[in-house]
Amino acid sequence: MEVVIASSPVDAGIGCWDLHSGAEQLRYRSCTSTPHGLACVGQRFLVSSQLRDSSSSSGTILYWSWNKPQVEVKSFPAEPIHPLISNSDGTYIIGGGSSGAIYFWEVASGRLLKRWHAHYRAATCLFLSDDESLLVSGAEDGCIRVWSLFMVFDDIGMEMAKHPYEYSFSEHTLRVTDVVSGYGGCNAIIVSASEDRTCKVWSLSRGKLLRSIDFPSIIDAVALDPGEHVFYAGARDGKIYIAALNAESTPSNIYGKHIIGSLSDNSKGVTCLAFSMDGILLVSGSEDGTIRVWDAKTRNIVRIFRLAKGPINNVLVVRRPLYSNFQTSANSHASLSRRHVPLLPPPLSKYVNSTDEIVDSGAITVPQTPSSDIMDAPYLSSHVLTKQISELQQQSSAATGMEVDRLKLDCKRSLEMVQKWKEMFADLHKFCVDELLGNDQTQTQ
Amino acid sequence: MARSKPSSSKKQPKRGVDFKKIKRKIGRKLPPPKNATNTEIKSKAIILPEQSVASERAGLAVSKKGLTLKELLQQTSHHNAKVRRDALTGIRDLVLKYPAELTLHKLAIIEKLRERISDEDKVVRETLYQLLKLVIFPALKKDVPGSLISLMMAYIFNGMTHLATDIRLMAFKFFDLVVQHYPSSFFMYAEKVLQNYEDILRKNHIYLQDRSKLKNALVGLVRCLSLLPCNRRTVDPSYGKNTETQGSLHAYELEVPKEHTDFSSIIKRLEDILPILVNCFQDFIPLVHPMSSLDAQSFDCMLYLLRSIDLSVKFFLYGIDKHQTDFGVTKPTYNEKDMPVWGEIATPVFLRKFLEVFPLNQLHNTSGKDEDKFFILNIEITEIFLHSNEWIFTSAILMERFLEFIENLLSGKIRFNSRSGKALQEKHLTSLLPFIPRLVSLVANTWKSRLLQAFTMAFKDCKPESTLNLAFLSAIEEMLLPSKRQGILLLDASEPEILDHQITWIRELPVLLVRLGDTLSSLSKVILHLLLRLGQYAPMNSSLAWEYDIMQHTLGEFYSMCLDDGSILYGPFMKLPKDCQELSVCCLYYFSSLDSLLLRSLVYCCLCDNLEPSVLFRIIDVLHSAYKIGHLQLVDLISFFVTLVARWKVLPGRLYTHVENAKKISNRETFKAITGAVCSCLRQMGDDALIFQIVQRVILDEIPLNPPIDNLCGMLRLLVILDSRPTKLSEQSIIILSNSISEYLIDAASYIPENGDEVTDSNQISICQYYLVPCFFLFDRSDKLLNLVLDLMGSSIGEDNSSLACNHDTQHTLDLSSRIVAVVSILLYMHQDIKIRRRLSSCKGEITRILQKMRLQVYTP
Repeated sequence: MEVVIASSPVDAGIGCWDLHSGAEQLRYRSCTSTPHGLACVGQRFLVSSQLRDSSSSSGTILYWSWNKPQVEVKSFPAEPIHPLISNSDGTYIIGGGSSGAIYFWEVASGRLLKRWHAHYRAATCLFLSDDESLLVSGAEDGCIRVWSLFMVFDDIGMEMAKHPYEYSFSEHTLRVTDVVSGYGGCNAIIVSASEDRTCKVWSLSRGKLLRSIDFPSIIDAVALDPGEHVFYAGARDGKIYIAALNAESTPSNIYGKHIIGSLSDNSKGVTCLAFSMDGILLVSGSEDGTIRVWDAKTRNIVRIFRLAKGPINNVLVVRRPLYSNFQTSANSHASLSRRHVPLLPPPLSKYVNSTDEIVDSGAITVPQTPSSDIMDAPYLSSHVLTKQISELQQQSSAATGMEVDRLKLDCKRSLEMVQKWKEMFADLHKFCVDELLGNDQTQTQ
Repeated sequence: MARSKPSSSKKQPKRGVDFKKIKRKIGRKLPPPKNATNTEIKSKAIILPEQSVASERAGLAVSKKGLTLKELLQQTSHHNAKVRRDALTGIRDLVLKYPAELTLHKLAIIEKLRERISDEDKVVRETLYQLLKLVIFPALKKDVPGSLISLMMAYIFNGMTHLATDIRLMAFKFFDLVVQHYPSSFFMYAEKVLQNYEDILRKNHIYLQDRSKLKNALVGLVRCLSLLPCNRRTVDPSYGKNTETQGSLHAYELEVPKEHTDFSSIIKRLEDILPILVNCFQDFIPLVHPMSSLDAQSFDCMLYLLRSIDLSVKFFLYGIDKHQTDFGVTKPTYNEKDMPVWGEIATPVFLRKFLEVFPLNQLHNTSGKDEDKFFILNIEITEIFLHSNEWIFTSAILMERFLEFIENLLSGKIRFNSRSGKALQEKHLTSLLPFIPRLVSLVANTWKSRLLQAFTMAFKDCKPESTLNLAFLSAIEEMLLPSKRQGILLLDASEPEILDHQITWIRELPVLLVRLGDTLSSLSKVILHLLLRLGQYAPMNSSLAWEYDIMQHTLGEFYSMCLDDGSILYGPFMKLPKDCQELSVCCLYYFSSLDSLLLRSLVYCCLCDNLEPSVLFRIIDVLHSAYKIGHLQLVDLISFFVTLVARWKVLPGRLYTHVENAKKISNRETFKAITGAVCSCLRQMGDDALIFQIVQRVILDEIPLNPPIDNLCGMLRLLVILDSRPTKLSEQSIIILSNSISEYLIDAASYIPENGDEVTDSNQISICQYYLVPCFFLFDRSDKLLNLVLDLMGSSIGEDNSSLACNHDTQHTLDLSSRIVAVVSILLYMHQDIKIRRRLSSCKGEITRILQKMRLQVYTP
C-alpha cells in the first residue's frame, strides 16, 4: 500500500493517507517535526526529529510503529537534530545537528557509529544518492557538501586526504533549503535550492556547477522528475515551478530562463514535494496545511488531503506493509501478535561509544523485509554463523568425498546413457535411409 | 605586299565592265596624288629596363619599384646582400599594398623567405625579422596551417645549430616570434628547442660580450616557459563564471581536454636546463659585485635568467601538485614509486646554492637607479625562493635573510627611488603577497608576528583605489577563513596576537568599502564576497563571529546615514551594480543579531526611489529568513515592514493609462507587490494573535501622520490579513481607525465608477476594489467600526458650515457638494456588496442621519 505521510511543525500529528484510494489511515500523535525531519525507516516504522524550544540543549527523536498512534521510543541526542534520513533498508539513520555536525546511528542497536563536523552552521537538509554511497548535505551557511560514506568511516583515509568531503560547493549565498540527487550514483546530478532564490544543478562526477536558475521566489522544496527531464521547485509564492534540465529553453519566458511552466493552486507557499513510486503523482505540502496530489503529466490536482491548520513541512510517499489483516487479528490474538510484532529498536544513543565495545558487538542485523510473513528471526547471531562455517569446514573432507563419488557415478551413468542414445540414433538413421532408398529403388524398378 | 597584289589584279577585270579599262604596268607604283594625306606613323623604339620580356604587368600587383611578387621572391636569393634586402623591403611594400596577395601566395612566400633565416648578412636577417613581425604574421593570424609553421621550423632549427653565433641567436629570436604568434607551436617542438637553448646557454661565456643577443634569446626562453602550465592563482570561480552557455546538461561534450599530456620529455630537458641557467646567472654575479654600476644589458640578462628559473621551478611544482591531486586523494599513494618524479631529486641542491647569493648588492649603496635594479633582482630571487620553499629545506640563516627582506618590502623600508617606482613596487608586491599566508603559517612565532605586523600596516596604508588591494584581500581571505581546498584554517585564531590582526583586517573592510564608494565595483564585489564568506564560515560563538556582528555598526554607513538635520545621505550601496547589492544584502543574513540602527539605514535605502524593486524584494526575503533563524527581533522586523508599507512613495498620476505614464502605474504595481510580500511574510511568522498585536500598535503609531491613500490602504491590508472574525482590534484602535477610514473612504470614492457609465475603465474598477476591499473586510468583522465611520461621514457633511461659509463661500459649497457625492457613491457601492449590505441594514439609524444632514445641506443655502 502506497501511503502519503505528512507532518507539521505545530502539533498536528503525522497524517497518513492511502495515495490511491485517498482513505485516511492512522494518525500518529504528538509530532512537531523539523523541516526534512521525517523519515520512514525501512518501511518498518516512522521516525521524526522534533522541534524544541531553544532552551533545551538536547534534541528529541521519536519512533512510531505503523499500527500504534502513540510514540513508542524516544531518544535524546546531544543536540537538536534538524534533517533526518534513513537508508532504504532501514539499517541506519543519519541526522544533521544544529551545530553543523552529522550523526550516523545504527538502527538495530541504537549505537551512534559516527559523528563528524560537517558544516559551520546548522545542517538543513540531507540526501542519500541512489546507490547510498554518497551523502549530500546542505547547511544554513549556503554550503553543500558531498560525503562518501565509505571515506567517512575510513579514519586513516580521512587523515591522508586533503579534506574529508568529496566536494564542497559554496556558490549559494544563503541557506540551502533542499537538495536532491538524480540517478547514477557518483555520476548523478544534484539539484539544490536556496533562499537566495536560485536553484543550482551540480555534477557529481565533475564536481562543478552546471547550471544556476533564478526563480521569482524562494524555493523551499525540489523534486526531480524520474526521467530527469525537468525538476519541480516548490516556491514560497505558492507555485510549483517546472524547470528544464535537458531541453534548450527559450530565452524569453514569463518566469525566467529555464523555467518552462508552473503548477499553481493559489495556495500559500509550497514547503515540501515528493514523487510517488510510479513517478506520475507529485505530492506537495503547503503552508496552509493541505497536501495536494498533482498529476505531473496533466498538471491537474488529483486529490487534496488536509492535515491541520498549521503549515506542513514534511511529505513522504512510502510503501507501507499491509497490516490490515494483521491488525484485525491483533485483538483476538493479542498475545500472539505481541510475539509477532518486531519490537522497535532501542533508542539512539547520545555519544559515540568507546571502541572496545564496537569490537565486542557480535550481532549481525539482517534487515527484514516487512512484506515477508516470517518475522521470528530478524537477528542472526554471529556465533551461529561462525559455528556453521566451522562445521562446514570440518565436514568438508568426509562429506565432499562422498559427494564426489556420487557425482562420478552419476557422470559414468550419464555417459553410458549417451552412448546408448547415440547407437539408437545411428540405427534410426540407417533405417530411415534404407527406407528412402528402398522406395526409390522400387520406383525405378 | 607580295600576296595581296595578285588578289587585287584578279578582281579588277570584273569591275571593268562599266569603267574604262586602265592599263597598268605590273610592278610599278604610282606616285601619290598631290592632295593625299600622309598617314605614315613614325616611331622610335623605347627600351624599358626589364629583364623578363614576356611579363605583362598591367593589373598585376607590383612593388614601389615595379617588381612583381615572383620577381621579388626570386631576388631574395640573389647573391648580393643589398639586392636581397631590397627584395625583402619590396615584399613588405607589396604585401602592405595588396593584402590579398599574401593570403593567395602565403605558402610560396614563406617557402622562399624561410631560406633567409640563416642568411649571412645581418641586415637581411633583421629586415626579414621585421617583415615577419610587422606584416606577415599579423596578417596571417587567422588561418595558419601547421604546415606553414613546420616549414619555418626546419630552417629555424637549422639556424639554431649554425656555426655563426649571430645567426644562431637570431634563430632564437625568430623562434620567439613564432611562439609569440602561435603559442601552441612551442609544445610541438619543445624538446628540440629546449635542447638548443641548453646548448647555447652552456657556451654562454662566449656570448658574455654580446649581451643584447643573449638577452634576445632569453626573452624567447621566458616566453616559452611561461606557456608551461603552473599553479596559477585563479580568482574565485564563483565570482563570475558563465554557466548559462550550456544548453542541455546531459549532452555529449565536444570539448577535447586541452591539457597537453606528454610533459615527460619537457621535464627531462628542463631538468638539464635548470642547472645551466643557474650557472649562467652565477657567471654574472662576479660582474655585479666589483662594478659600481650595472649596465642595462646585463641587468636584463640577469632578470630574464631569474624569470626562466622561476618559471621552470613553478612548472616542477605544478607537476608535483598535479601528481598529488591525481593520485593522492582518489587512490592511496602506494603506486607513487612508479610515477616519474618531477625534478625532485636533482634540483634542490644547486638551487640552494643559487639562493645563497641572496641578497645582491648588500655591500655598497650606489646611485638610486642601480639600487632599483638590484631591488628588482632581489624580488625575483625572493619569488623563486618562495616558490621553491615547499620542497627545499632552507637553512635558518638564509630564511632569516629572506624574511627580513620581505618584511622590509611590506613595511616600505625598501623603496624605489625612481619616479615610476611606485607602480613597480606595487606590481612586485602583488606577486609576493599571495605567498604571505603560507609563509606566515610556516615560520616561527617571532617572525610570524613581525610579518603580520608589516602586512597589516601595509594593508592599512594601501590606498583604496590601488590594485594591491585585490592581492591583499585574497591573502586576508586565506588567512581568515578555512581554505577551500584543504578545509582547514591556516592560522590558529586562538592566539591573541593573530586574532588581533584578524580583527584589524575585519574592521578595515567596511571602512574600505565605504571609502571605495562606487568607483571600483569589482573590488567592492570582492570585499563583499569576503564579508559573506566570513559570515558563513566564522565558527559559531568565536571572537571572529563576534567581530563580524560588531561590523554592522560601521556597515550602516555603507547603506545610508541619517544626518543631524534630518536629511539622508545615501551610501555606496545605492550606486553599486545589482550583483554587489545582492551580495551585501546576503551578508545581512549572517549577523547573529541584526541591529535596529542598521535596519534603519536599510529602510532609508528601501524607501529611496532609485532602488530596484528586485533588490527590495531580496531585502524583504533575507530579513524574513534572518528572523526565521532567530537573527532578528520580531518587533524590529515588523516595524521595518510597517515602515516600508507606510512610507514607500507611490507616485501619483494613477488615473492615466497612457504610455508615458506607464512607469508611474507600474510603481503602484510595485507597491502592491511589496504589500503582498510583506503580508505573506507576516502570515508565515507563526502566532497570528501576537503578531497582530504588534502590527496594530506600530500601525496606529503611523496612522496619525496622515499617510497617502495608497500607504494607508497597504496598512489596512496588513491588518486585514492578520485579523480574524470577529475583530481583534481594541476599542481605542477602532476609534483611531474610524477617523482615518472615513477620510480614506471619501478619498477612495473618487475611483468609484459612476453607475450606468459604459466606458468605465476595467483598470479603474480594479483600483477601486483594491482600495475598498480591505475596508469592507474590517466592516464585516466589526460593526462598531462601521457605525463609527458612518457617523463620522455624516458629521463631515453637516459640520460647521457656518464658520467657513463667510470666507470661501463658493469654494466651500463646491467642496461640500463633492463630499456629498462621495458619501453617496460610497454608500451605494457598499450596498452593492452582499455582505456589507447585511451589515448596513443594522445601522439604518446612521444612514438616515446622513441623509437628513444631506437634506439640510441641500435645502438650507
